[in-house]
Amino acid sequence: MAKKDLASVTTDLSALAAMMPTQRAAPAPQPIAVEPTALKVVSTPATAAKAEPLTQFSFGLRKDLRKQLGRLADDADMTMRAFVLNALKDKGLDVRADDLLDLRKDRH
Amino acid sequence: MSIITVATTKGGAGKTTLGRLILALLAMRGFKVAAIDADYNHTLTDWVTTAAKHPITVHHELDETKIVPLVSELHNTHDFVLIDTAGAASQATIFALGCADLVLVPISPSSADIVEGIKTINLINSASMMLKREVPARVVLTAVQPGTNIADHIENEVAKAKLPVLKTRLNRLVAFQEMSFTGIAPTSGPAGHQASNFLDDLAALGGLPESIKIAS
Repeated sequence: MAKKDLASVTTDLSALAAMMPTQRAAPAPQPIAVEPTALKVVSTPATAAKAEPLTQFSFGLRKDLRKQLGRLADDADMTMRAFVLNALKDKGLDVRADDLLDLRKDRH
Repeated sequence: MSIITVATTKGGAGKTTLGRLILALLAMRGFKVAAIDADYNHTLTDWVTTAAKHPITVHHELDETKIVPLVSELHNTHDFVLIDTAGAASQATIFALGCADLVLVPISPSSADIVEGIKTINLINSASMMLKREVPARVVLTAVQPGTNIADHIENEVAKAKLPVLKTRLNRLVAFQEMSFTGIAPTSGPAGHQASNFLDDLAALGGLPESIKIAS
């Protein structure tokens, strides 16, 4: 086995690299004529949600389920709130990273 | 001087999270660290410039012809260089693999992560053959939720594929997620413990500056 030599990396790997796409910027595409109506800016749900105040939400569940939820959230070092939101995110709920922050205290 | 490349051809597996963690942990220990961000999303660059609390040199570089010269330049002026790659195979990724003392391949709990993780390890093996030297690589299991079926399943799949796995697993912990906002690496609690073990693993594999190896 050879020793690492940065100077030879480009030469040695050029054949393998040639099989891959480049990330270098392609020439800028020609601007496409767009009808003014297509450029209309609409408020996205995420933007709208940003301005929304927090609201309380609660529901009842079996004691055993509550225990399981607590255990899973503990294992993941998450609050139950963050854990539930994170699970719902996978189902398509529009959850942002800042929705998952622990609002109670600094957990570091 | 050490160089770690974080790579997988799958996006969202935790490459930039790993990069942030390593850079923050080393920078807070006083090491002179640099990062090359070869991802077109420039997430790592944004984090360094807006959130990181300790000095980190960062270059956003997508041009594959500039990766190796940039690494050579930083090699002479820094204790440690990290290269973060895009979530797809590219020429820049190949050269970033060739520069590395250690490649980390993050796999989060999903089938696609395992498939792309295997492809990335195969790519590293191809690069090793062409370089006529081994490029050490380890899979890092990220966003792990211990005690769940999916966590067990991922462990089994990775073992079945005979992937080389780093001993420390990084759980899905709030502190790792908060790092993207705070810029501060966790030093206490479960996340701090895992971060410390993670650094020890990297040191044992020769992926960190010499004095870290002595300290650990």
